[in-house]
Amino acid sequence: MKIDAPRKYVIDNLKHFLNPSSIAVVGASRYPAKVGYKVIQGLKDWGYRGEIYPVNPRADKVHGLTAYKTITDIPGPVDLVFVAVPAHLVKMTLEHAVAKKAKIVVIATSAFKEIGRGDLQDRLTQYCRDNKLPLFGPNLVGMGSPYLNFNCGFIPYLPIKGPVAMISQSGANLLAALGNSTTMHFGMSFFVGLGNKADVDFSELIEYGNTDPHTKSLAIYIEGLDSPTAFVKACTSVVPNKPIVVIKVGGSEIGVKAAFAHTASENEGTSDAFYDQLFEQCGVIRATTFQEFLDISLALGLQPELKGDCVAMITNGGGSGLLSCDHFERLGQPMQELSSISPDLGLRIRTYMPMFGSPLNPVDISGTASPVHYKGALRQAMRDPNVDMVYCSICPTAVTDVPGVVDVAIEMYEAYKPLGKPFVMECQGGAECLEAIIRLRNHGIPAYATPEQAVNAIVALRKYSKIKEKFSKKK
Amino acid sequence: MKEEQSKPAPEYLLGSPEQQSWMKKYFFSPRGLGFLEPGIVGLDDAKMSAYNVAKSSYQIRPDVFNMNYLSKTVGLGKEEIIQRMQRMYEQRTIVFVMNPAVSVYGWGLYYWMVKLNENTPPEAKAELSEWFQNKDDICTGYECQGDFDFYNGNHMRVIDNLLYDVLEPWKNRPEVKYVHLCPIRRDLRESHVNQFDCPGDGYREVLWGPGQIEKLAQVQDKLDLPDLKIIQALNAKRPMEDFFDFKVLAEVSGLDEKAMLDGIKELVEVKRIIVPLFHLNFMKLNLTNRMFVIRLFQNIPCCRKAEISDELSAIKEFNTVKEFSDSFYDIILWAYNEITDIPALRAKLNSYSEIEEIKEADMTRMYRRWVCRLDDQNGYWEECVFTDDFLQDRTQPGGPECTIRKGAK
Repeated sequence: MKIDAPRKYVIDNLKHFLNPSSIAVVGASRYPAKVGYKVIQGLKDWGYRGEIYPVNPRADKVHGLTAYKTITDIPGPVDLVFVAVPAHLVKMTLEHAVAKKAKIVVIATSAFKEIGRGDLQDRLTQYCRDNKLPLFGPNLVGMGSPYLNFNCGFIPYLPIKGPVAMISQSGANLLAALGNSTTMHFGMSFFVGLGNKADVDFSELIEYGNTDPHTKSLAIYIEGLDSPTAFVKACTSVVPNKPIVVIKVGGSEIGVKAAFAHTASENEGTSDAFYDQLFEQCGVIRATTFQEFLDISLALGLQPELKGDCVAMITNGGGSGLLSCDHFERLGQPMQELSSISPDLGLRIRTYMPMFGSPLNPVDISGTASPVHYKGALRQAMRDPNVDMVYCSICPTAVTDVPGVVDVAIEMYEAYKPLGKPFVMECQGGAECLEAIIRLRNHGIPAYATPEQAVNAIVALRKYSKIKEKFSKKK
Repeated sequence: MKEEQSKPAPEYLLGSPEQQSWMKKYFFSPRGLGFLEPGIVGLDDAKMSAYNVAKSSYQIRPDVFNMNYLSKTVGLGKEEIIQRMQRMYEQRTIVFVMNPAVSVYGWGLYYWMVKLNENTPPEAKAELSEWFQNKDDICTGYECQGDFDFYNGNHMRVIDNLLYDVLEPWKNRPEVKYVHLCPIRRDLRESHVNQFDCPGDGYREVLWGPGQIEKLAQVQDKLDLPDLKIIQALNAKRPMEDFFDFKVLAEVSGLDEKAMLDGIKELVEVKRIIVPLFHLNFMKLNLTNRMFVIRLFQNIPCCRKAEISDELSAIKEFNTVKEFSDSFYDIILWAYNEITDIPALRAKLNSYSEIEEIKEADMTRMYRRWVCRLDDQNGYWEECVFTDDFLQDRTQPGGPECTIRKGAK
């Protein structure tokens, strides 16, 4: 349901959303394959240290914990109520949650607006609003934070710690991102599945993300915006501090219908151009593919903004350099020749390449480049005051010491971090490149498997710099 | 008793008017097992809402049932009835369930009787008992003592899945003397309530033998006569308006009162594909159920078999009556030992010349009924575990399975 601006009581209560001191799980099940069992198992397995109160009128014990017939029978206070009962029990559960003075209610249950029960969903939402009980969902998968050892829902992964707050209407795509986090070390600060977002909206979580110390960028997956005014207000206030990346789906002819069936998202009468304009207006960066969404939100979370257009690319593979410079141009941010960035830099870098290398930009230090060559070239580029950022690529040949180059890259990054220049890497190849990407990411360096991914990330860093400048001035 | 022994063969012949009139007598005409009919609805269909809301909330809101009707019928105040129902649930003496006409849903309802060899060590029986208890596909199951040792049932779409997945893992063990499949052709009565296949217009009639309820109130100390009257009134053949309180259902769920009423009326009263009812946890009441499993001579025509089932279903002391098909056995009847004249029932059965053999056993442990776990001793009271073999080929190892089954392993 629509809101015009982020609501204070909601934002105030959000501290109980990811860090509740007690949770009632309504619909807690004794059966391992049921959602109501998995929720408690997840809380326990991932190290939640607060009180867990299973609610199930048929059971005496669930997961070895005393089960209560209703929320109101629970002896202690309840911060968060997680609802995993059928839709027809949600109304009664909300009444019990209000009676118990719970701080937040999270409804995993489906079968509301997305199947035509919009009226019921609205009535329940209004009831929560009347009682100042923030409602998450319905139809969501869960939420959590690796910094708080908190995984609440039916989510098989806890992501690794990192800078990106992931707010997603889609449970499946949130899970994909969480899975990616564990395999590709895409670090997150917290994650939220919003589902139908009947009450608590993107805007309030955006405000929350702004205050969360672990969050450096926000990644938002949108199927429909019910409250564009509130969204614009929240983004406008946050983007001077933290970058926001969105992916907006459901714009195709059949996608409009699919988005409604999925999360009751209404896109009728809107167009992609409308959303482009809206995102431009509030300073968020729009990704078009899910991979790009992940790639650029990671770069924006890990690296400072790119304050100028002078990007120096150091590579041992001319091919990756060519793919990169073409993609830069496609995205409207063409690379500049090294000589125009810094007249002497090419000469200085020549020392670290064979005679058949190219100091043009991309700087091709050739397939025979060793860690020593990389180190010299990177140091020269990073130290040059005319270079705004360094982009480094590894294309393994039989003589490339990939781990050695990664060591050097990490060393140079750490050494010149105080200069505030972004650093992005690309490692294209086999298993050693995958390992390299993970090691680099563990050290806070956004690293990617293809040049296009890396270039997307760099262009986003530049875009954010311009956004920040514009919105800081406005502020 | 004598008239049954000399009953002449019926006039029934294929194509005859008698055959046609016989066919009309049965709400469900004879058909194959697992006969999927158009017009069925899924168990989470909106038309099922009244039942689903009540099933999920009666544990804390007994007033989802119609207290005005109950109060008028049993002569107690509404508040007292609510308290009594709450107590009965908390004592685990009652459970609210729904019996679906599984045959029209596309399942076969396959019961099977297991007999172990003489001198089977008790631990071998206990091991099998645990396996049956934990096998989620078994939707109804009992351990027994007497002429056979277990009586279990599954609803399955494919009989191969039953044979391969449910029976095969243990049926060749040396202690197993036999396993007899008893597919249900007609479901005439369950837990005192007449079902879809009962004769005449007896559908949803609730039956107890003369004096049985009064006797039951005396032989145990958990339920008194007013409690039993409440259950009897709930199970009575009344329109759905008298069964549920639709205002309370709407208050609990937020769903539309009229839509819930229309939906459940259609399913229970028009289509006759589900019967909501209260089941008594007879074991909690220290009752034992005696099962009579009847085998007719194989040259008895099916029309006569159906007549015999109907005749036996007229005996109110039988709380459960079902007719089998394609089996060594033809009819099963249950009656409580403690409140029934069992020798008289046996004598009645023995008066039928068509009956070749009667096996008898008492239930000593219950696993599940209506996919609902009844093993309170294991902490699983009323945990409903609905599994079936839809889209599954369990003859192929490693094939796709439903999540609940996988989770249970």
